[in-house]
Amino acid sequence: MKKLIKGAVAAAVGLQCVAMASAVQAADSVNVAFFLEWATPNQIAKVDKVYDEAMGVDVNWTDFSTGVAMTEAMLAGDIDIAYSQGLAPFVTAIQQGAPLKMVGIAVVYEANDCFVKNDLGISSANASELEGKTVAVPLNTMADFSFRKQMAALDVDTSTMTIVDQAPPDGAVSLADGSVDMACIFGGASAKAAGEVGTPIMSSKEKSDAGIGSFDVVSVTEKFATENPDLVSTFLEVTEEANAAWKATPEQIRKVASDAGMDFTTTQNQMAGFVFPSVEEQTTKFFGNNGEAAAAAESLGAVFVKTNISNYKGSVGRAIDGSFLQ
Amino acid sequence: MFNWISDHRADIAAILILALAASFIWSIIYGYKQSRRLAKEQVFGDPERTLGGWYWAVCGVSALMLVWFYYSWGMARAFFPTAANEVCQIAKIDEALSPVNASLPISSRYFKSTTLVVRNSQQLAQVEGALPQAVFSASERSELLAIIDASRSLISILSNEQYQDKAVVDGLDVIRLRLSDLKTQLDAGYAGLAPTAEALAQPRWGVDDTEIGLLPKTARGMMYDAVSAEAKQISDAFLKLRNLPDDAKQLIDQTKSRIDALKQANKAFSGSEDEVAARNSYVKSVERIFRRLDDGTIFPSTSLTGVNQAVISLYDSIADAKGGLSFVEAIFMPGGTVVKSKTLCVEQGSSRWLPKPTDVVAKFGRLASPDLESGGGFKGTTLLWWKWLEIADLVDFFIPDGLVDMLPGQYGTHNTDGEFDRTVKDRLLAFASGDVYLGAIPMLDGHIWDSMFRVIIAMMFGIVLGVPLGIFMGVSRFFKSFFDPLIELYRPVPPLAWAPLILTIFGIQDDGKIFLLFMVAFAIMVISARTGASGTQLSKIRAAHSLGATQRQIVRYVILPNALPEILTGVRISIGVCWGTLVAAEMLAGTTGIGFIENVARTVSDYELIWVTILIMGLLGLFFDLVVRKAIAILIPWRGKG
Repeated sequence: MKKLIKGAVAAAVGLQCVAMASAVQAADSVNVAFFLEWATPNQIAKVDKVYDEAMGVDVNWTDFSTGVAMTEAMLAGDIDIAYSQGLAPFVTAIQQGAPLKMVGIAVVYEANDCFVKNDLGISSANASELEGKTVAVPLNTMADFSFRKQMAALDVDTSTMTIVDQAPPDGAVSLADGSVDMACIFGGASAKAAGEVGTPIMSSKEKSDAGIGSFDVVSVTEKFATENPDLVSTFLEVTEEANAAWKATPEQIRKVASDAGMDFTTTQNQMAGFVFPSVEEQTTKFFGNNGEAAAAAESLGAVFVKTNISNYKGSVGRAIDGSFLQ
Repeated sequence: MFNWISDHRADIAAILILALAASFIWSIIYGYKQSRRLAKEQVFGDPERTLGGWYWAVCGVSALMLVWFYYSWGMARAFFPTAANEVCQIAKIDEALSPVNASLPISSRYFKSTTLVVRNSQQLAQVEGALPQAVFSASERSELLAIIDASRSLISILSNEQYQDKAVVDGLDVIRLRLSDLKTQLDAGYAGLAPTAEALAQPRWGVDDTEIGLLPKTARGMMYDAVSAEAKQISDAFLKLRNLPDDAKQLIDQTKSRIDALKQANKAFSGSEDEVAARNSYVKSVERIFRRLDDGTIFPSTSLTGVNQAVISLYDSIADAKGGLSFVEAIFMPGGTVVKSKTLCVEQGSSRWLPKPTDVVAKFGRLASPDLESGGGFKGTTLLWWKWLEIADLVDFFIPDGLVDMLPGQYGTHNTDGEFDRTVKDRLLAFASGDVYLGAIPMLDGHIWDSMFRVIIAMMFGIVLGVPLGIFMGVSRFFKSFFDPLIELYRPVPPLAWAPLILTIFGIQDDGKIFLLFMVAFAIMVISARTGASGTQLSKIRAAHSLGATQRQIVRYVILPNALPEILTGVRISIGVCWGTLVAAEMLAGTTGIGFIENVARTVSDYELIWVTILIMGLLGLFFDLVVRKAIAILIPWRGKG
């Protein structure tokens, strides 16, 4: 019995020590999260160590596969800055009370497409025929948000649809098999596969006319932002310089491609669809009064609200801070 | 009723924790007594009476629940309902002071100024060493080196308190005094302070989406809140202080114009592209280091010692003022702390990924409510309820529509009046596709039922097909050798590896998910039946044979009963594995089911929901296991008695 108690006490003390050890850490390096296979001009600055030089600290880059994982790592204190986190994971994190801040816009890109099977003959003109059909959607992602926005713009009642939660590759397969009538897809390879058998329900122009777009954000932990505001601004500044220096020359693309882990043409195609807004654009268009960042975050928050709707107070806007952009 | 329970979950938890503690202690005492009695029974008494031991199960469950309550901060919330709110107020002070702390050796080991000086000096040395000789003229080179030297002397001016501006010295002194005022305020205590009505109206800890209310609910919290407001102003004043004495300003202006001159020279320079790039990048890196120095964030270390002392003693006072709270924090809030974000305070630590048992139950209650309109269920489907199942839907399921196409006759068209003339074939099609009303039967419905249905059907097929095959493999050389490679080849493959194939073969309906589960169950059933059958003693078979039994009778009356213990163990194992595979199966194309809920919850890090699904799966697994145990007791009462 005595041994047992001793063991229990030792285990409890051990656990506390582990928790303490993770709390104390050196502040002489900055940890940045990024996505592989998501090509951005600042990867040139990343490879050339411009960030390290400009910020005067070691910048460690860690690649992630989902934005939710980025949030988790930031909450655990392992990541200070998440570059190009999706808006959806950022908003859900804020709704869960995570101490994060949006400080910049990384990439603006066309909203994810929903592909309708070709033989159904449904386009944006007769979109109401989609009612009662089966749709593959990766729930709680930007593709989900884009789906709901597009259906609202086309005046289609989503409650009549059977919505199947499928990852993009699975959704593309199901679309080809005909087990779903429409698949909402993100990611280059899956979108290409879905494009073989389906057509986007809204064209690029229709989407931008309806004001449906997506963007990835630069988010930081609140702790890091209050303690090292200079590092945050420098990070954004270097990113701005890298974006300004981007001419999409073959040499530049090759450099980005090798860092992003993709081949030349895929990188080229992917980056052709990206817009990297300048600081001026960001401050006027996204972060000003009634900026797009707050509007998009709020409307996304309303779509992905937690199970009990009544408690949603729309607090996402308060986690948006454009003051680090100079 | 539900809301009342939800609002008082902390009080309910308090009663529960006390009951659990009592049952934990009682079960140990009772179990200890029983063990001593049993020790005697085993030697002298009836061995049947030595069976059982449910009190140890009580002991285990209450220990588990107590650990859960403890690490999820459930105990803290139950017995110290205002503790988190008070810790939140302290977190506000932390947040307010964090810019000050960041420049003092409090949140790191060194003064921020020290770090900056060391880092920038190192980089200056690096840049000096990397000066490209070829692209710059001799005069430009000496100019660049002069700029680097100027940067060095700027560092030494900033680090020396002799040069310091009187305004900055006074400013730091004011901050020191204001911090010690704060300390006095804290030491004076919180008598006479009372929380506002608005603060008291905040929901209790954890009842709302906002876990912990921001406004202070206690007198002590009021004191900390007031201190944090003042601390915020102090750190704003601190951030405004810039150590830029006149000498430094002069040097900065001079150096800036020298750098600008170099930049102009770069613009005017005509050479190869590489040379221009090399010149630009070098000047830029010199300028970058210089620009990190010219904002006046480097202070002489001695000038900050006063502020540092004041902050340290302020934190001492904060700790002293905690009183009993520090005990609660240390003992009852293990592995984490309360963090203040922009709009709310949240728990950070084990309690974040381990929700409190009462919260999980509340979440379960909300999901289990069949009233979909008022927020029950999940994504438009109840958890477990019933509905009217139209018999026509069953007909639709069993009769393929293609059958009607093969019948003679034509489908109708619309006539000139714009009406649809239904032919016999149309009516048959309506019947086959379930477009008629044939009455309805009550049927279970909901996520749990959908998952259970998949598991049960998969198990049924697994048993019906797997057991006979296993027995034949156990007794027949042909069956054994023919099927052995096939089964052994697919058995070790994890079910998830099949998933992409199954999606294309079966589509998104239930059959694909059931097939995935069936494959898991089938292999286990075959192997257990085969082991059971081949383990039959030869003497028993021969005895039956000599008594005149036919082959069929031997299989039915000798081999099958002999294999039954193994088969039923196989059932127990495969049910467990089926539940384990369910999450993967429902990831394929999720519309309903427990695994679907879990997959969605994962994408939004909804830990309460994740735990609800984990518990539902665990409890369902346990329920099935108990059913099989009961079946074992009925079917093979001789087990373990031979």
